[in-house]
Amino acid sequence: MGDRLNKLAAKLRGGPDGVPRARLISVGGGKGGVGKSFIVANLAASLARLGHRVIAVDGDLEGANLHTCVGVPRPRVSLADFVAQREEDLGKLILDTPIRNLQLIAATDGNLAIPQPSQSRRVGLMRELRELDADFVFVDLGAGTHAAVMDYFMIGDEGVIVIAPEPTSVENAYGFVRAAFYRRLRLAMASHDMRKIVTMAMDQRNERGIRTPLELLREIQTLDPAEGARFVETMRAFRPRLIINDVRTADDIKLGFSIQSVCRKFFGIEAEYLGYVNHDESARRSVRARRPLIDVYPRSDAAIYLSRIARKLLADGAPGASQEGSI
Amino acid sequence: MKSLSEQNHYEILEVHPTAAREEVERAYRLALTTYTDDSLAGYSVFAEGDAAALRERIEMAYRVLSNSRARSEYDATLEIDPDEDLPRAEPSAPLVPVEDHFSENAVPLQTDGTTHLDEGSGDFDGERLRHFRIRGGMEIEDIARITKISPTYLGFIEEERFGDLPNAVYVRGFVTAYANCVGLDGRGVAASYMKRFDKGDRARRKGRFFESR
Repeated sequence: MGDRLNKLAAKLRGGPDGVPRARLISVGGGKGGVGKSFIVANLAASLARLGHRVIAVDGDLEGANLHTCVGVPRPRVSLADFVAQREEDLGKLILDTPIRNLQLIAATDGNLAIPQPSQSRRVGLMRELRELDADFVFVDLGAGTHAAVMDYFMIGDEGVIVIAPEPTSVENAYGFVRAAFYRRLRLAMASHDMRKIVTMAMDQRNERGIRTPLELLREIQTLDPAEGARFVETMRAFRPRLIINDVRTADDIKLGFSIQSVCRKFFGIEAEYLGYVNHDESARRSVRARRPLIDVYPRSDAAIYLSRIARKLLADGAPGASQEGSI
Repeated sequence: MKSLSEQNHYEILEVHPTAAREEVERAYRLALTTYTDDSLAGYSVFAEGDAAALRERIEMAYRVLSNSRARSEYDATLEIDPDEDLPRAEPSAPLVPVEDHFSENAVPLQTDGTTHLDEGSGDFDGERLRHFRIRGGMEIEDIARITKISPTYLGFIEEERFGDLPNAVYVRGFVTAYANCVGLDGRGVAASYMKRFDKGDRARRKGRFFESR
């Protein structure tokens, strides 16, 4: 009995000595149309091909399209059933895809009147996501920095941000990093007053003129050194990972490093450049064919880059690799 | 967490205090592109004057760190505390134990130690070298400047115009220097490249033999 309880506790905790649970990887980016779903479909398919059990979850209830990227034309059930409380067990919403080891939870057929789940429903969903029986769970997030989007980003063991080498996407990506970091920070602050200051700093035109996390840190350190220390801890643990998609030039590739540097120097945030995917006509053809690129054109350049990123994700989670890098 | 004004030259260029000359060079070039006023990575973050102030610091750091005498004098004035909270002092989930976290500044994907091998499997040919050079954001001229090898030969190495290259001893040295410069293991790469070179060389000589008959 005690043993069973322990196992259950370990499972809920998902700690290092607990029952192994899925690695939850959330993929966001702030801007729509940068290729998040394409990247999720292909990373998920790459890992599935390597023999891992993968579930790709479409977290975008207002713009569901992951099902198309993984080759499931008309999902019969979806996350919308969970949101509408027609189904309580997320496991029952899992669909098979044409790719071995890869399953899908779609987000189609939502209720247009109430697309986003309520706060309590979100909590339930996040708990259920953690419980899914797989080696990897990818959550493809919608655009923007809505609370629902940021919550899903936050529960991930790892948060990946997809960026296209264009001003709109880069701006939104910084917005996304800021939003994620400040939310995380607000949770970490123990005192109500400090949380209030964080909330104030989230307003870009705040009265104290705090523009960046580093400036906010200075402010909090002066006001309350203990909270300052907590701040630094949060900062260290926060490591968004970057993928630059649709790269055409050497400058586009360098953009990832540059963003890394700007995050470090101006935000005090350590981002990790996971890799880039080059512009490739076959990518578009694969979307038209409604299948992952690595499945239809495994030898194309972009497919090779994608599987390399997948292997890097795998290596990161290998025994011995520190899990501190999680978001 | 240090503010920019408190950072030393290494922190400004985001290189490790033991970084080789080539790394300093790479970091400097990256910093220059990152901190132009209208850089894609920065324009939405910089306030008025931010980028200019940083560029000044970057130039100063580079002037010192790229000159070995100035650098060792500067090092003597630094008290480098290994536990200090350099922004990068705590590597993100290290991929492989041998990982040199800081070399990530140069090339993102090869740092996990395994990607060397699966970086398009097989030999290190000219095409692959070129690929790594571009990935590191370097022009042939940059490599020429650092390695002191003629850009013409560097071009021939990439194009595998073996017949136009000098003899094997030189080529091996060139390829080693080239590879080191783009952040690869020079000896390993040269060994691989030279196999192709020798094969090409033999084929060429054979060709010449038939031609002369």
